[in-house]
Amino acid sequence: MMQSHARTGKIFAFTIRKEWLKLLLWLAGCAFYVILGAVAFVEVYGDPLERQAMAQAMQNPAMEALFGRAIGIDNYTIGAMYSHTMTIMGFVLFAIMSILLVVRNTRSEEEDGILELIQALPTGRLASTTSAILLLVLTNTLLALISTGLLIGLGDSSMTTEGAVLTGVLYGLVGLIFGGVTLITAQLSSNARGAMMLSFGVLGLSYILRIIGDSGEFDALSWISPLGLLYGAEPFVENNWFPVWIGLIISLVLIVTALALKHRRDIGAGLLNDRPGKRHASSFLKTPVGFVLKLVRTPLIVWAVAMVLLGVSYGSVIGDIEDVLAGNEIIEQIIAGDESVSMTDQFIAMIMGVLAMAASIPTVQIILRIRGEEKKNRMDKLIAGAKSRTAVLSTFILISLAVAIIFQLLQSLAFGGSAVAMGYDISLLDMVSAGLAYLPAMFVMIGLTVMLVGWLPKASSFIWLYLGFAFILLYFGGLFDIPEAVSWLSAFYHIPEVPVEDWNVWTAILLTLIGAVLTMLGAAGFKKRDID
Amino acid sequence: MEKLIEVNAVEKSFGKTKALEKVSFSVDKGEIVGFIGPNGAGKSTTIRILLGLIKADGGSATIFGKDVWKESVSIHKRVAYVPGDVNLWPNMTGGEVIDLFLSMRGVEVDKERKEELIRRFEFDPTKKCRAYSKGNRQKVALIAAFAADADVYIFDEPTSGLDPLQERVFQECAKEVLAKGASVLLSSHILSEVERLCDRVAIIRKGVIVESGTLDDLRHLTRTQITLKTEEDISSIREQSFAHNVSINRDQVVFQLDSDKFDAFLSYVQPFKVLKLESAPPKLEDLFMRHYETAEGVD
Repeated sequence: MMQSHARTGKIFAFTIRKEWLKLLLWLAGCAFYVILGAVAFVEVYGDPLERQAMAQAMQNPAMEALFGRAIGIDNYTIGAMYSHTMTIMGFVLFAIMSILLVVRNTRSEEEDGILELIQALPTGRLASTTSAILLLVLTNTLLALISTGLLIGLGDSSMTTEGAVLTGVLYGLVGLIFGGVTLITAQLSSNARGAMMLSFGVLGLSYILRIIGDSGEFDALSWISPLGLLYGAEPFVENNWFPVWIGLIISLVLIVTALALKHRRDIGAGLLNDRPGKRHASSFLKTPVGFVLKLVRTPLIVWAVAMVLLGVSYGSVIGDIEDVLAGNEIIEQIIAGDESVSMTDQFIAMIMGVLAMAASIPTVQIILRIRGEEKKNRMDKLIAGAKSRTAVLSTFILISLAVAIIFQLLQSLAFGGSAVAMGYDISLLDMVSAGLAYLPAMFVMIGLTVMLVGWLPKASSFIWLYLGFAFILLYFGGLFDIPEAVSWLSAFYHIPEVPVEDWNVWTAILLTLIGAVLTMLGAAGFKKRDID
Repeated sequence: MEKLIEVNAVEKSFGKTKALEKVSFSVDKGEIVGFIGPNGAGKSTTIRILLGLIKADGGSATIFGKDVWKESVSIHKRVAYVPGDVNLWPNMTGGEVIDLFLSMRGVEVDKERKEELIRRFEFDPTKKCRAYSKGNRQKVALIAAFAADADVYIFDEPTSGLDPLQERVFQECAKEVLAKGASVLLSSHILSEVERLCDRVAIIRKGVIVESGTLDDLRHLTRTQITLKTEEDISSIREQSFAHNVSINRDQVVFQLDSDKFDAFLSYVQPFKVLKLESAPPKLEDLFMRHYETAEGVD
């Protein structure tokens, strides 16, 4: 077995050399997330009464669907508040970091043929995979140490050292678990994209299981989900270390299984079979729209299914909210700020925002695919044909627009449909209009992405930072005091929160115009610039 | 002769497709063997088995007498490999990658040798890999392979993407390592290259070795092209059993002669008063084509 790991050290050293910058940026992003949470809570919620009111407001299925089961409610300290509201989103963020890290260093290199060169050298059959595992462990250990340090440094007295250590360990552990899942999916699928989609599938499923478990009667579901399981540690409240041990065992089993699978299989092979493809291009595939659709089809289908599930899950908890909140004036004053607005409508508006941002991901991905094709040197083949650059770009943009509209329809129907089915008194039409109200902001996203692809192609992926920023504003905006000037930068901030607010035709027109202008400017840049 | 590479009745299937069927051949010490066959015949599959990248379903494959799957690490210390499609890390320079590959061998990098190869292949090692063309990426692997002091070199279409001048450099380098006593397995589509370099060839088709031996041996199986000019009319040559594809153009006759019927041909041609006789040895290409054309009906 030692032979299988020969030269792992050398490959690991090299892996660090090529990865350090990416990981540094990721870790900085994660640290920023922790700082944001710790500082904001200490600053904003110094008053215990205010915290207690918040605790009351958090005890309803809708909030639990968003943030996780309400914990430490009897004594809602800053620490409890942090654990309750920051944990699930943090888990998802850290899991994504590890999934991408593992795919990049395992299946991607194998798919590109780099692994073949390495393995033809006197290196062990498992050396590359082992080095990816070491990198995963190192990154998540750093994440754990940084998070612990930050929480001890920035927290108030309620954020105990034990809680801070536990939080850090949980953060690292969630990365290990989902990195471990990805090590397995990298053995199952014969290509990087497939491995990534399988892993994100597991993450999505964990999230949805947790929603259903946390907000309904099936508590067990939360414990099956890795996210729910680790959430159960409740740092600063219960400091329950049991989930940590389970999580460690799961990670270990995943890693050992992945190594065993890798050791046995041929290079380039996946354990799931590839289906044979079609012999001829269909006549639809030969049209530009058909071609681009084919490129992005599978991820789109996966996204559509995921978003419908998410919409249904959120919608199914709506009916319960009103009962829980009935007659609690304090909460309504603090949360809604206006007695005439119902808590449920607030929740609907917020979920609509979350869903719109989720739908922005595939929308933006389609535009970024242009850059992806370019990096793989395939753009030349598209442009060298009879199609002009602008025609190629327009096809991607058109499909992106269509996806934005269709996905918004789809998920507001799913969300609204399940809310209506649960007996909440709202018309489906109102729900759909609330969903469509977000379209102008998504147009701005498309425009910004085209701008980046057209003028700053190397920085295209910065669009994710912007989307992340908008998401944090929306998700945590109700909890933190975010200056108006900062909020103003997010396109989504300007969208009136239907049904709480009225739809505003001028905002819609203005945002759509901004989106259109950005798109045209970006297209002009794309037309002029060199193709890499 | 000591056999450095030995492949014996190796079989491999991918799902239901049989990729290799009882493939056997060997490479002696100090010898270069050409491995030829059309796309999808199983050349790369065989090579990947030899490198321990994929596992054979049956038969045995050894290098230096060691099992290629079980002892891949110790074998690879003395083996250098260049694939036909080299992909590299986009954000590393070519020079860094060459050094990395060499350092993985665990021996001191022979700097002089490396620099000399970089010069000979006219390679710029300071650029990032994403900026290299296919030919230049190929050079990275070639330089790293030749700079390593290996006993067995395995090349899978190593010159794809190289210009004719660089192809020549590759051939010189290959001859040099042979002169040092190393063995080479060269899979290639460029038959002239195989012809120029190789002592022996093995032809693979649909996972089966259909022919193997020295080029001379194989030539005997084929035909020589004869161009002939005689004073007397020689159109009766059409009826001779040794002559194929006869074409008569004014006084010049061109035809294919069964290589083992040279004697019969010479006694036949004598009375016609020969003015000119040119014989072109069969090209590997003819051999190759003949094999494929005739074998086509066998399936």
